[in-house]
Amino acid sequence: MIQIEQLSKTYQTKHGTVTGVDDVSLEVKTGEIFGIVGYSGAGKSSLIRCINLLERPTAGTVSVGGQDLTKLRGEGLRKARLKIGMIFQHFYLISQKTVAENIAFALRAAGTPSKKIGPRVDELLDMVGLTDKRGVYPAQLSGGQKQRVGIARALANEPAVLLCDEATSALDPNTTLSILRLLKDINRKLNITIVLITHEMNVVKEICDRMAVMQGGRVIEEGNVYDIFADPKTALTKEFISSVVSFNVPEETLKKCDGTIIKVLFKGAVAGEGIISDMLQTYPVKGNFLHGAIEYIQERPLGIFVMELKGGQAEVQQAIVYLEQREAIVEVMDHGN
Amino acid sequence: MGIEWERIIDLWPEIQVAFYQTLVMIGISLGVALVVGLPLGILLFITDRGLFLENRSVNSVIGFVVNIVRSIPFIILLVALIPLTQAITGTTIGPVAASVSLSVAAIPFFARIVETALRDIDKGVIEAAVAVGATPWMIIKDVLLPEAKASLIQGITLTVISLIAYSAMAGVVGGGGIGDLAIRFGYYRYDNTIMIVTVVILIVLVQLIQQAGDFTAKKLDKR
Repeated sequence: MIQIEQLSKTYQTKHGTVTGVDDVSLEVKTGEIFGIVGYSGAGKSSLIRCINLLERPTAGTVSVGGQDLTKLRGEGLRKARLKIGMIFQHFYLISQKTVAENIAFALRAAGTPSKKIGPRVDELLDMVGLTDKRGVYPAQLSGGQKQRVGIARALANEPAVLLCDEATSALDPNTTLSILRLLKDINRKLNITIVLITHEMNVVKEICDRMAVMQGGRVIEEGNVYDIFADPKTALTKEFISSVVSFNVPEETLKKCDGTIIKVLFKGAVAGEGIISDMLQTYPVKGNFLHGAIEYIQERPLGIFVMELKGGQAEVQQAIVYLEQREAIVEVMDHGN
Repeated sequence: MGIEWERIIDLWPEIQVAFYQTLVMIGISLGVALVVGLPLGILLFITDRGLFLENRSVNSVIGFVVNIVRSIPFIILLVALIPLTQAITGTTIGPVAASVSLSVAAIPFFARIVETALRDIDKGVIEAAVAVGATPWMIIKDVLLPEAKASLIQGITLTVISLIAYSAMAGVVGGGGIGDLAIRFGYYRYDNTIMIVTVVILIVLVQLIQQAGDFTAKKLDKR
């Protein structure tokens, strides 16, 4: 649905040229939710704003639905934008217009006949659960409600793509969750492709199918969200993951352990605890759980356990090999004494 | 010193005429400022860097012309525009004639006020409208003007009050008006009564306009 090819964006400032996006190529498939994570300044905001050409790329191309947007200007670009919805961290509603008028604004941009605007506004308000706020001004709404209006406005012209620019970053955790559920729901019902940027890894964990990690304007890691959570390659990705799935065992506890410390990871439907107990029965080693949890990512379980194995070196080694044979990913964190 | 009430009664018809002349001058020049200055101010804003109709040359030319007119002291503008006034109104005396110079001064003044008011709008709101696929005209009509409504009304108030001050100078070219009355009787003839009466009228007028402006701005703002 979206092809980004060798896209770069640089800015001219008083202090010289600043690179926002540096040679990024990405493909977002139809109907998927694609998350781009990175700290502020990583270039993710520039990148998403290049997708609908709010910022014109310095180099490279962006195609949405097979159409190269970088070739368009003026009226052609405006028409293309009707089919690319966008929501923002600070909502950006017209403060002097009611909820219904804000949504109608988008419909009028597409030249919707006035007779059809009313019913369509009602339909959209129903979709985002704000039927009772029709005639209210944005100032009287909560953050979550404002974002729902933003979503209704973005979806007004039945776009193929929805861009979310830090859409939940100004919201509290509960509201964030409800907005994410709404996005997921919309994604499923309308088969709309969603690209979102965020610095919150839980957003990605909650709703994304695939993800990319950005740093210094570049994409440093990209792939299926589940796979990346199971096996992050870069230090930055690990850092992001540890913000939602943390398996840090306190130093004090580790000092007291004299066995081998291992981190065991079970993907998918494998019953992790069962395998560990099998191992403990098969090999003459003792095991202590230091940490453990089963996370559900894209509704698939991901089991991660940190444990101390005590026993003869050879036995511990055999036990680890056994776990690996049973499809666990084992990482030895400390070889013990 | 002291107010002679009989003087006021004597000159009351003249005060009324002067008041009417002031209203004519302000009405005409404000009308022209709105009709010409508003689009000019919008143009100044939307052709600026990073906005949806960015056009550096249009922006610089308008900005330059606006600055030139605004640099000229009004009294000089008043005299310099006598030929233009003659050409447009067929005369150089009276409130309608004075309105030509007042309008010329008011246009760039109001244009800058409009530009400043628009600059205060959150850029994100404009960007969201661009992202939605709105036409430039829709953005002006449904985003810029409504969002700047309150500050535009404050700007109109400011313009009217400045025009009242300027219109006092219109007496120089025989424009008439309250200010002219104050200068002719009060200043040149040391007629304190007329001076005080006219000044009081001006004070009341300015207060009323300011209050009406503040009230309307507040009433219309939905934030």
